[in-house]
Amino acid sequence: MTRIVLSTGNIISGGPCIIRKPGIFRSNLEFTNSLRSNFVAAQEDYSAAASPTTNGTNGTNGHSDEHVNGNGISGHPRSATELWTEKDGDVIYIPRIDWSGAGLQEERSQYEITVKLFFLPHAPVEQRASYIEEALRLVKKELGVSVIDLLIASFPGISFEGDCEWEADKLNAKMGSEADEVATWAALETLHEQGTIQRLGIAEFGTQKLERFLSQIKTMPEVDQINLQNCCNVPPPLAQLAKEKGIELLTHSDCTDILPSGTLRELLGTGQLGAGVLSDDGSDKNGLKGDLTPQWVVKYTSFVKDRGVIENKGYFAGAELLA
Amino acid sequence: MGLLAEGTALDWPDAKKKADQVREWGIKQLLEIWNKAKTKERDALLWGDEVEYLVVKYSKDEPKVLLSLRQADILTALAADEELSNQGGGVPAIQETQSQLSNPLPVFHPEFGRFMLEATPGKPWGIGFKELLGVEPDMKLRRKIAKEHMKSNEYPITLTTFPRLGVPGVFTDPYYPPSGSKLRSQFVPDEIANPHIRFPTLAANIRWRRGRKVQVNVPVFHDKNTPNPWKDPSVNYDLHNWPEDDDVRNGAAPDNFIHMDAMAFGMGSCCLQITFQAKNITEGRKMYDQLSPIGPIMLALTAATPIYKGFLADTDVRWNQISRAVDDRTKEELGEEPLKNSRWRIPKSRYASNSTYISTDNRLRPEYLDPDLIIDEDIKDKLMEGGMDDRLATHFAHLFIRDPIVIFNEDLEELDMSKADHFENIQSTNWQHMRFKPPPAGSDIGWRVEFRPMEIQITDFENAAFSVFMVLITRAILSFDLNFYIPIAKVDENMETAHARDAVLNKKFYFRKNPFPTRPLRGGGASGTSTPMGVSRPPTPTGPVEDEYALMSIDEVINGSRTEDNDFPGLIPIVESYLDSVNVDVQTRCELATYLDLIRRRASGELWTAARWIRDFVDHHPAYQHDSAVGDEVTKDLVGSVIDITDREQEGKGWKGLDVPDLEKLLGRFRRGCK
Repeated sequence: MTRIVLSTGNIISGGPCIIRKPGIFRSNLEFTNSLRSNFVAAQEDYSAAASPTTNGTNGTNGHSDEHVNGNGISGHPRSATELWTEKDGDVIYIPRIDWSGAGLQEERSQYEITVKLFFLPHAPVEQRASYIEEALRLVKKELGVSVIDLLIASFPGISFEGDCEWEADKLNAKMGSEADEVATWAALETLHEQGTIQRLGIAEFGTQKLERFLSQIKTMPEVDQINLQNCCNVPPPLAQLAKEKGIELLTHSDCTDILPSGTLRELLGTGQLGAGVLSDDGSDKNGLKGDLTPQWVVKYTSFVKDRGVIENKGYFAGAELLA
Repeated sequence: MGLLAEGTALDWPDAKKKADQVREWGIKQLLEIWNKAKTKERDALLWGDEVEYLVVKYSKDEPKVLLSLRQADILTALAADEELSNQGGGVPAIQETQSQLSNPLPVFHPEFGRFMLEATPGKPWGIGFKELLGVEPDMKLRRKIAKEHMKSNEYPITLTTFPRLGVPGVFTDPYYPPSGSKLRSQFVPDEIANPHIRFPTLAANIRWRRGRKVQVNVPVFHDKNTPNPWKDPSVNYDLHNWPEDDDVRNGAAPDNFIHMDAMAFGMGSCCLQITFQAKNITEGRKMYDQLSPIGPIMLALTAATPIYKGFLADTDVRWNQISRAVDDRTKEELGEEPLKNSRWRIPKSRYASNSTYISTDNRLRPEYLDPDLIIDEDIKDKLMEGGMDDRLATHFAHLFIRDPIVIFNEDLEELDMSKADHFENIQSTNWQHMRFKPPPAGSDIGWRVEFRPMEIQITDFENAAFSVFMVLITRAILSFDLNFYIPIAKVDENMETAHARDAVLNKKFYFRKNPFPTRPLRGGGASGTSTPMGVSRPPTPTGPVEDEYALMSIDEVINGSRTEDNDFPGLIPIVESYLDSVNVDVQTRCELATYLDLIRRRASGELWTAARWIRDFVDHHPAYQHDSAVGDEVTKDLVGSVIDITDREQEGKGWKGLDVPDLEKLLGRFRRGCK
């Protein structure tokens, strides 16, 4: 079994991936596009660094004005996977992570660090504690922090969709797996008690679902993230409940299933837009083979509170490859 | 600045002799401030908006609406209101205000026009997203408090200009005859200006330095019954009170232009200005540069000035009129006569679009700068000897080509290095569309940047929307490290373009196609050096500058461009993406969305600018003869409608039943209050 860790790097100043297209209210495009462009960038950077023809200071010569086009540098052979990825025990980092830029630029107290952890639908629920551990380890290392201000848990199979918000709230009540959510919450509560996570939150919980959830847990969520087509129409019962329980209703525009396995295969595969790591059909002897299961995705943001500036935003994702 | 005199203001011939001294002392004060504050760090984002009002005297039963000249009385009444001052509000020019209170009430300020009033929040805003929602109620409160200190038939309105300012006959209350010694205007009396000695001196010395009256000529809008050529019928060619009365006989009033001749026609306009505090000087310089190309876009988008001196103009915004109204350049400086006594030919008025970029950003290419920038080399040398870098020294050496206009004799006795009065004398009479503001001497305030091009809007909802939008776009620029650089000459050109009638729909503006930073490099293992993200960047690619920008409509700049050759994302999607990346509660996001929606729809043409709405109002008014002349009856009804709109806005009950033509074209369904 091989574990795969994907990363986007800091996407906040990473160009157009972060700009949403008008009219799209929720998507995983920011995530998948920035993953793709980080793959391409890593391929360029590491192959340039390793190439004997570029002996410039930083290996920047010659391609600083070429665009990331999702398909490597035209005319260059796709760089050997080993150059731009890294194998560490049974973990493969795609791409290789450059920790030299890790950390915050100012004092920790200036920031609000928010993390959203997506538990993906086909990953085994009993593994979630280890997903939490690994996701937080990576985020803490990237930001150089020991404490997360807000962690929002996103559980699979829940959404807040419908022709009207009332209907969405009703449908929502039957979604997800309550037992799994409560069990996972316990693991997060422990981190909260230890002080690693200051505040906990959930995503896409409608009125009934939230009410039942609250009755089964110890530590109250302080945030419920919801996505509404027209965010002015919060179902009144939900607004009421949130107010009573002191839960902030925040907006978001993420898909719940942020990394379907088909998307992941495409991202890593040998196709037009793929990174060429995965050998889809066995034609590449060196490529990775097997069943790929996306397990978790974590999104992190460091926000300078009193200036309203986002300094770092990015994603990590974990997947399992069974040969 | 108090309402009372602060000393002996020098007439121009005396002031001129002292100009070098003021500049020299100003530079010393600047260097002192710069040295103290250049390492100032980690200041929070604080920001403030300024709303300016015209005060009108209006009654349904009176045939005319007039400008009220009771600014001083109104300010005195505001200052005397103990309840207001106990809660931190009041008039800082007259009294100590308690801005340290947690939620101080708004404060009010005198303005150039004696018919004007300015109001600002009691203390600066922060960037808590919920705090942004406080702006609109605060603006409404300002208007309410202002109104409460006026007579029952006086109203604070937010039209940029009074349509009948300077018409023959009575347009002010009380009435004063024109042709006074200070302004020497044949259209407006000296009493039109704030009587504080600073203001009449400013107007008089600008005229004096210039050697003739200012010439504010706006092309007239040719309607179907407007003669062509059109001669401004209100110009009097037979006046002989002052030497300047010759101006019109010497061609100051060309055909097809509405002719105006005094500072009040420009400085009597109301604007919406926003000031941001930066984290440090570097961020301030960056914001100054990055907001600069956005200036003309926001000017066109907020267009609200289609009428001057009783005539429909062929332009939609106030900018050039203010520029001309304070243009103190001599004939030599204007290039009309060979240089003899003046030092330079100066291409722009002291009120004009920016002429410099000042950031240390390495994406600032030398090609963007103005190759013919006029600077005072001696001043630049002094600043650089004092340790200032070339680029910033160039900026101030450019501002310091101007003479100080108003000098108080008492201030020249001794140089007070704990003050900034001489520096500010030059700095604050350079009215460019951005202003880079060093921290005030002896304060804890940081480096600030002022965004000055926007026109005031009729409702507080709109004013709040544009203010909040500007705040959000600065946050997006800093977060995403965006790059809007285009050559500064193209920003100038855009500023001109923004004047055209319906520029928002019909004109195209130069704008940078790709605003995104080049991606930072990761540490290439071979060299061992690494480039930490966000700290330094690879050199900017250097393709031709001309390939970096394209002509775009306002809609494309604001909402994104969907053409094949460029895919500019649009300022609104950029702001939305910023909001997607931060924690905002549902209610706040919903409110912010209405602001963004207003701007989106104004840009797309779905909603009208105030300029368009006013034109349409005039066009459909039964008393309008389609001859470009906007008479008393039309003006009265226009102002009446504007008062009705803001009265309704105060009540918060929406527009239902309001008899205002095409209101839905201006405001759509916003603030209908139908809940």
